[in-house]
Amino acid sequence: MKRWRRPLIVFLAALLAGAVRMPFEAALTGKLRAEGLLPGHLPIGTLDKIGQTGALVALGGLRTLVATFFNLRAYTFFTECRWDDVADTFDVIVELAPQTIYYWETGAAHQAYNASSYYLNDSDLPPLRRDAAWRAAVLKGRAFLERGIRNNPGNPKLNAYLGYLLTDGKKNRAFRDADATYLAAAEAYKIAADSREALPFFRRFQLYALARVAGREAEALALARQLYQASSNRTPTLQCVYFALEVHANPAPIDPEGFALSIFGSPKQAYVTLSNYWVRGGERLPVHGVARALKALETKLAIPADKSVFVQHPIREGEDE
Amino acid sequence: MADATPAVEICGLVKDFKTSFRRQMLRAVAGVSLRIEAGEVYGLIGPNGSGKSTTMKALLGLVAPTAGTCAIFGQDSLRVDSRREVGFLPENPYFYKHLSGAETLRFYGKLCGMRGRVLDDRVSELLALVDLESARDRRLGGYSKGMLQRIGLAQALVQDPRLLILDEPTAGVDPIGSRQIRDLIFKLRERGITVFLCSHLLEQVQEVCDRVGIIFQGKMVKEGRLEELIAIEDQTEIILRDASPDLVAQITALVADSPGAAVVRTGKPRTTLERLFLRETLRDDP
Amino acid sequence: MSPTPVSPARSNRGSHCGRIAVIATHAFTQLVRMKVFYFLAVFAVIVIGSNFFDLPQHVGPESAGINVLNSIKNWSIGMMSLFSVVFAIVATALLLPKDVEDRTLYTILAKPVPRIDYLAGKLLGVLLLVFVSLALMDVLMTVVLQIRTSMILSGQMEMAHSRGWPAAEIASLRADILSQGPNASLQGAVWAVFLRASIMASLALLISTFSTSTLFTSITSFLVYFIGYFQADARDVFLESGTAGTGWLARTVSLVVSLVLPDFHLFNVIDAVIQGQAMPLIRLGELTGIGLFYAVFYVLASWFIFAEKEF
Repeated sequence: MKRWRRPLIVFLAALLAGAVRMPFEAALTGKLRAEGLLPGHLPIGTLDKIGQTGALVALGGLRTLVATFFNLRAYTFFTECRWDDVADTFDVIVELAPQTIYYWETGAAHQAYNASSYYLNDSDLPPLRRDAAWRAAVLKGRAFLERGIRNNPGNPKLNAYLGYLLTDGKKNRAFRDADATYLAAAEAYKIAADSREALPFFRRFQLYALARVAGREAEALALARQLYQASSNRTPTLQCVYFALEVHANPAPIDPEGFALSIFGSPKQAYVTLSNYWVRGGERLPVHGVARALKALETKLAIPADKSVFVQHPIREGEDE
Repeated sequence: MADATPAVEICGLVKDFKTSFRRQMLRAVAGVSLRIEAGEVYGLIGPNGSGKSTTMKALLGLVAPTAGTCAIFGQDSLRVDSRREVGFLPENPYFYKHLSGAETLRFYGKLCGMRGRVLDDRVSELLALVDLESARDRRLGGYSKGMLQRIGLAQALVQDPRLLILDEPTAGVDPIGSRQIRDLIFKLRERGITVFLCSHLLEQVQEVCDRVGIIFQGKMVKEGRLEELIAIEDQTEIILRDASPDLVAQITALVADSPGAAVVRTGKPRTTLERLFLRETLRDDP
Repeated sequence: MSPTPVSPARSNRGSHCGRIAVIATHAFTQLVRMKVFYFLAVFAVIVIGSNFFDLPQHVGPESAGINVLNSIKNWSIGMMSLFSVVFAIVATALLLPKDVEDRTLYTILAKPVPRIDYLAGKLLGVLLLVFVSLALMDVLMTVVLQIRTSMILSGQMEMAHSRGWPAAEIASLRADILSQGPNASLQGAVWAVFLRASIMASLALLISTFSTSTLFTSITSFLVYFIGYFQADARDVFLESGTAGTGWLARTVSLVVSLVLPDFHLFNVIDAVIQGQAMPLIRLGELTGIGLFYAVFYVLASWFIFAEKEF
């Protein structure tokens, strides 16, 4: 046989073998992608950002190793308060390792908490710009977290963290529509609570978020009643929310004081818990009937007027039902 | 007498090599035929590049003939089974430096399917035969050239083949080592093993071979029994010991009287430099 | 006339498996006794062992240290990947040319050794060495990982208890930490690393039957390795034949590349396992099947070329 014939035959055989194995490989790729075991293609943009050596290693199948390196770099940027660089680096990191929850959490935290606080307190920006920068950072953190959830749907940690961010009293004012925000928080907590690794308080927090959405009190009440069944759920906050929602649903028949006693046990306990709840007014938790109950309890317990809880936290308009 | 299949039969062997793209083919072997009977020692001699090594490689299946056939004890050389009866010692072999002498022999023995007691005994036997018992556990990296050739011979013999093919067995070896190798070849011939060697050290071929073939530019130019080939037919040699000059004069006169005969040369025959060397270094009579 | 007795040495025919085993163990010993192997191995051990010490971290207190475990896995598996691929390629690339140059190949082929046995034996010797090295590195990695995981676990449990976390949260934290520690899927990832190296070794064997230079074989093999990762993209280009603007030439070339070269993209499962995903055994089995297919094909192709080679 001529010298070039054998290599040619090998080449043709390789083509044939390739045709034979391709369906199997494609099938396996599909299965692995479905099981979340195979990452997608790295976009060219990311390859640009990670440099040549990084691209070589990443393409050589060790993306998570490159991500580890970039994580260290992000840490350095963080210590130097270079927030844009932190954000950019985390963008690259999550492209390389999208299933590592830790990176999504940390990246979001850096923007929503560290960067925003920096802009507000430590930067040299003029006051008007500070607020805008603070807001931008919080929104960036939220967007990053939501992207993480899209990449890892159903992950309890990320969803819970989103819920936490959206219901955080200090970050609230960054989000325009309060109702929509709390609704989103409730949904996030719901996903977290529905997952297998859910922690007990996820469901309660779902309730708290839902209870703050105007017009969803009925739904919240149903959830509250369900949660109230189990005695392990009866935390002070839950008890108060349950109380308020029940009163809201049936304002007339319920005698707030009596009802409160049935929930809290003793007048003293009722007063302590409800007054602690009352002072958290800024969180927009439902307070239907709380004021009435407190007044009744103050009378019953003979609390002097100057020590009343309403001294420092007076009743505002619309809260006096 | 063993069966009459010749140990080696090469018929019309032709081998062409491509030198480079589109160039002429190089015809390394151009129609060589030779036949070696079992039990013979056959020497293939010729200058460098005459096709000796190629012929041997074709016999061993390392190279496929362009035309013609090669057979060992009746089996075609291209078949793996034909090599069961052959042991080969290539030119300037290196072997694996990290193995010791015994390990090397064991390796080759196992390749031939030997194992266990049989293999161990064979290894010891061969090491004794080639006089390397003292170096059996030394790594081949520390062997001298002569020792390497001898271990190479041992490796060739490991599966007790009926045919031994040696490519330049004494090239680069000092006279003492050469002599040992030649003695070994004699021993093997006594055992009935066929030896096919090629060399361009003509003196040594002359000592050892029964039949000789001269190959030049890929063709066999002369072949036959050694004595027949190198006898100078028209000359006769008489060597005398302690002959007086008178006796020599008498013989010379006698020859002068015979018609047609003439004295070519008288005087002291010369020993060879090799014999002198051996005599001095081994304290042995040649 | 009685036939000459066949000596015991000659009567034993030997078997394919026996010969392959002899050549494989021999190649294994030859490679192990090469000093360069020792250097590589020591280097790998140092890198993996160094994970015992701390790297700069910046995690929040609740997840202190989990990222260390990720780091350890990344580094160790990265080292294993690098070592196994480099070694598989270079060791295979040098075996054949070395034998040809030293003429020891002649002595082996002059024995009744079929050429396929020779090739298979050499390849298996390399694979054996890669396997043993990976196993050692795996043990080291698992030990380091286990120790670190325990340290982190005890530290975190202490912190959680001192802060009075409820039981469910403590259990969740514990499960979190343990899931990042050593587990069966991680061993599956190491097996995938070995499969990849095996494919590269058999491919290097094929290339070395064409080429006579160790350097050429090594470089070509490395190139093929990288292209193997791109080839999944090439296949997609071909399959999306509706893309306007891609000429038929580009598509044909992509098709050819994706058919001929191995698809290493599948082995990116290693990354997912490092991030904590579990790999089902059946997928590992399928991956092994594909790896075996490549290896067998390349060995047969090598034999096809090598059978005709003249020395």
